[in-house]
Amino acid sequence: MESNGTLIKMEGVKKVFYTDEVETHALEEIHLEIQKGQYISIAGPSGCGKSTLLSILGLLDSPTDGQYWLNGQPVSKLTISERTRIRNREIGFIFQAFNLIGDLTVYENVELPLTYRGTGTAERKQKVQRALERVGMAHRLRHYPSQLSGGQQQRVAVARALVGDPLILMADEPTGNLDSKNGEAVMELLRDLHRNGATICMVTHDERYANFAERNIHLFDGRIVDETREVSVGA
Amino acid sequence: MDTIRQDIRYALRMLWKHRFATFVCAGALALGMGANTAIFSMAEAFLRHPVPLDEVNRLLAVVDSKPRQNIEKTSVATATYLEWQEQALSFDRLGAYSWDGVNFTGDGTPQKIQDFRVTTNFFSTLGVQPHLGRDFLPEEGEPGKNQELILSYGLWERRYAADPKILGKVVKVDGRPFTIVGVMGKGFDFPMSAEAWLPMAFDAKQRVDRDDRPLWVIGHLRPGGSFEQAKAEILTIAQHQAAAYPDAYKDWQVRVLPLGEFATGDLTRQYTLLLLGAVGFVLLIACADVANVQFARVSGRQKELAVRAAMGATRGRIVRQLLIESVMLSLFGAALGIFLALWILSVILSHMPPDIARYIAGWKSIHLDFGAFLFTFGVALASGLLSGIAPSLMSSRTNISETLKESGRGASSGRARHRLRSVLVVAEISLSLVLLVGAGLLVKGFNALLTVNQQYRPESLLTLNLNLPELQYPQRSVRATFHDRLLQSLSSIPQVQSAALATTVPYGNGGGTDADRFLIEGRPVEQREESRTAIMETVSPNYFAVMSIGLRDGRVFTDSDGDSTQPVAVISRSLASRYFAGENPLGKKVQVAGSKPEVWLTVVGIVEDVRYNWIQKDALPTLYRPYRQNPTYYTTVVLRTDDNPAKFTSAVRSKIAAIDPDLPIYEVKPLNQVITESIVGISYVAAMMAGIGIIALVLATVGVYGVMSYSVSERTHEMGIRMAMGASQGAINRLVVGNGMLLTVIGIAIGLPLAFALARALSSLLFGVTASDPFAFIGLPLILGAVAFLASYLPARRAVRIDPLTALRYE
Repeated sequence: MESNGTLIKMEGVKKVFYTDEVETHALEEIHLEIQKGQYISIAGPSGCGKSTLLSILGLLDSPTDGQYWLNGQPVSKLTISERTRIRNREIGFIFQAFNLIGDLTVYENVELPLTYRGTGTAERKQKVQRALERVGMAHRLRHYPSQLSGGQQQRVAVARALVGDPLILMADEPTGNLDSKNGEAVMELLRDLHRNGATICMVTHDERYANFAERNIHLFDGRIVDETREVSVGA
Repeated sequence: MDTIRQDIRYALRMLWKHRFATFVCAGALALGMGANTAIFSMAEAFLRHPVPLDEVNRLLAVVDSKPRQNIEKTSVATATYLEWQEQALSFDRLGAYSWDGVNFTGDGTPQKIQDFRVTTNFFSTLGVQPHLGRDFLPEEGEPGKNQELILSYGLWERRYAADPKILGKVVKVDGRPFTIVGVMGKGFDFPMSAEAWLPMAFDAKQRVDRDDRPLWVIGHLRPGGSFEQAKAEILTIAQHQAAAYPDAYKDWQVRVLPLGEFATGDLTRQYTLLLLGAVGFVLLIACADVANVQFARVSGRQKELAVRAAMGATRGRIVRQLLIESVMLSLFGAALGIFLALWILSVILSHMPPDIARYIAGWKSIHLDFGAFLFTFGVALASGLLSGIAPSLMSSRTNISETLKESGRGASSGRARHRLRSVLVVAEISLSLVLLVGAGLLVKGFNALLTVNQQYRPESLLTLNLNLPELQYPQRSVRATFHDRLLQSLSSIPQVQSAALATTVPYGNGGGTDADRFLIEGRPVEQREESRTAIMETVSPNYFAVMSIGLRDGRVFTDSDGDSTQPVAVISRSLASRYFAGENPLGKKVQVAGSKPEVWLTVVGIVEDVRYNWIQKDALPTLYRPYRQNPTYYTTVVLRTDDNPAKFTSAVRSKIAAIDPDLPIYEVKPLNQVITESIVGISYVAAMMAGIGIIALVLATVGVYGVMSYSVSERTHEMGIRMAMGASQGAINRLVVGNGMLLTVIGIAIGLPLAFALARALSSLLFGVTASDPFAFIGLPLILGAVAFLASYLPARRAVRIDPLTALRYE
């Protein structure tokens, strides 16, 4: 497949969970394309398959069926270690629960993807510093997550997602654990990143935040049922 | 390296964060590793450095053996040795020594010295030179010219205050003048316990003697020569000897052994290996405990691990990180274990009586050396990997996306993890039972030893040894008269009930006994089905009464059994049953083989058996002769006293000095002490096994408690549902305790056959141990079960106190 401006392409992606002889069809016939530099939101009711789709997009999980290309590379049938390597280099994650490691300092949390990439100490230091500056958290390097507010923790998580210069940021309900003020701040941060060229794919059930994205995809019962595109971006 | 440093830093942080768990785990590992390090140090000393000689790897011992009589190694005949020396080309030197014991007199207090008669090439064979003076000269190995001696460093220090001008000094050895020509270096005491070495000279008769076997032969391999070559060569020569002299070598076989193996002895080897195995088991149990704790800890870190995986950590990297934590924990345990090992060794070394320690090959080499540190480090690495590998592998298989969800618990591998933890607990219980049974049987066997010796009432007996010098006491009548006077004099000491003589008392000489052959009148030797051997005792008539040895039939000796009356013998019950089965031995005639003059002894009585040491499970046949008919040079005196026997030492010394001021007495000890020192080795083993068994029980209990406790916290939600559905507290209790007891019963069921196999092995090693001991196979499993019940009950109590409402909210 030609990469061109297409960063992500999915064709007929399915995901079925098998538990104790019960088949759960989480995703059905997903066809999706995301262009480089796009800001896309995935919305839908609870249990519709948003997070499952994001997990597959982020290579945290693999599809049961269908094709998935990331930056022109087929990635649906990769081994766990190949998925891990690509995830480390090409994808940045932002989670609803921040998922910072409580026993690591802000600095150590942010440098984590670089550590696993084998980046040298000096370069790591430089990149971590820059990423934290981008999210306005450079002054809290030595703090532990428990010493930060929820909003601050999520900013650190954003820095961690950015630090490796990924092709795409995957944000799973990034404001879900934040009050409205902090939620707004995080959304502004994502918008700034997008303005500076970042490709973002965000799962949210909050209409207000979905509208920050330029494309909104609606899922229902594991299928894409609707898609809206906005010309202008704004809240 | 950078990332490993990061992992180490993080591991230290995590260990510090969970300090309590860290200390508990490190403590468990320290118990296992400390015990392993201590026993390893002992094993290293006993099995690898039993002889402190630089050339030990080039030295071999050549011994005789007689498998038909279970004689595994014994000394060889003079003619045999001389032919080996002449013909064997694999050795550049072949020396020999024989046990001896002499009295030093004429230059201070008379003293019994443990000396060895050695060939003049003995020291050069071993590759050692005297610290002072010179080695023996070849001509000093000729009869009449062997009047020199070399002192041990210890004797030189003790008796001669390390006099630097000692060389050339003439001392009286058994009344003969000997010149001191050398002093050996500090610490050199080969053969074990040697205080002096005297040159050995062979007369013409000895040079062709193939019956008497006095020599222990040591060979030094020629450069380039191998153990196998030397062995093959000696065996070939031995074959020729057997072909040329079939009578002399019938049933005898030559064995060639590395000197270290020869010095260690089979029992030390067996018990050392037993202890090594036991502490190895303890370490496995400790590892299982730690693995269980690690399971619990990594279960609580599923989210962190999932985040790391999401950030690009490979499975290998996550496993590595968890293993580094586990290894760091082990290293911490190892550091504590080293201190524990130091303490264990100091306790072991300080409690061993010096009189016994000097007879244990390698005892002086016991210490924590670099090898022990390396061993501990290796064990720590292995334990870290062993205890961390399963939790790490299982945790690295977590479903990342599920775990990362806000409420995700990543429980996909929970069931497998629980199963593995249960397997670990079952294994712990099985191993603990094996160790408990082993420990129980050894302790029981040891107690049986103590009990069986109570028949002698050793607490009121004083024993001492005498060795009459041949020069002063050449005639039988002189020796008999000395013994008469001795008994009369000692009996007159106030509060001494009676004094008796014997060649060896039970447990005397460290339990060592020598059996000699005897003949039975009318039964030619050729028809014998087995060799007739017995311990030969020469005793005073009252010996049986003094030692409370019961008469079964006939009579014991009387004062009228003298040199001019009919030669008589009393035999032990086991001798009667073994050699006179189905007939009455009274009136039968026996003769001690090689006795001069050849005298037939009429059996006049049968007495109960005596246990001479703890090694032999079966009683040893014994043949007693009255001292007036066979007055010996070497004698043990036994005094039955009304008070603490140790109080009589000085009175005994002055009484004997009054008869012969030049006669040294030695080994003056209450029989209690003689027995205690003789069984100190097995008491060490029993005590160590008991300690190991208790540690195993504690660790297994911690394991059961840990698993049940964790299971309860993991199932809090389930408990809440059950209680909400109407489950009573009793039902919850039964559920938790039932699970714990199920694991325990499975563990015991697996452990019992293993324990039985161990019991069978032990029963062949030690008196008083039976493979079907009810205490071991019913009592100990019940104790283990009871402790496991308690370990399950405590978490169960916590479970029944769960508030259903809280539990239902619990994730």
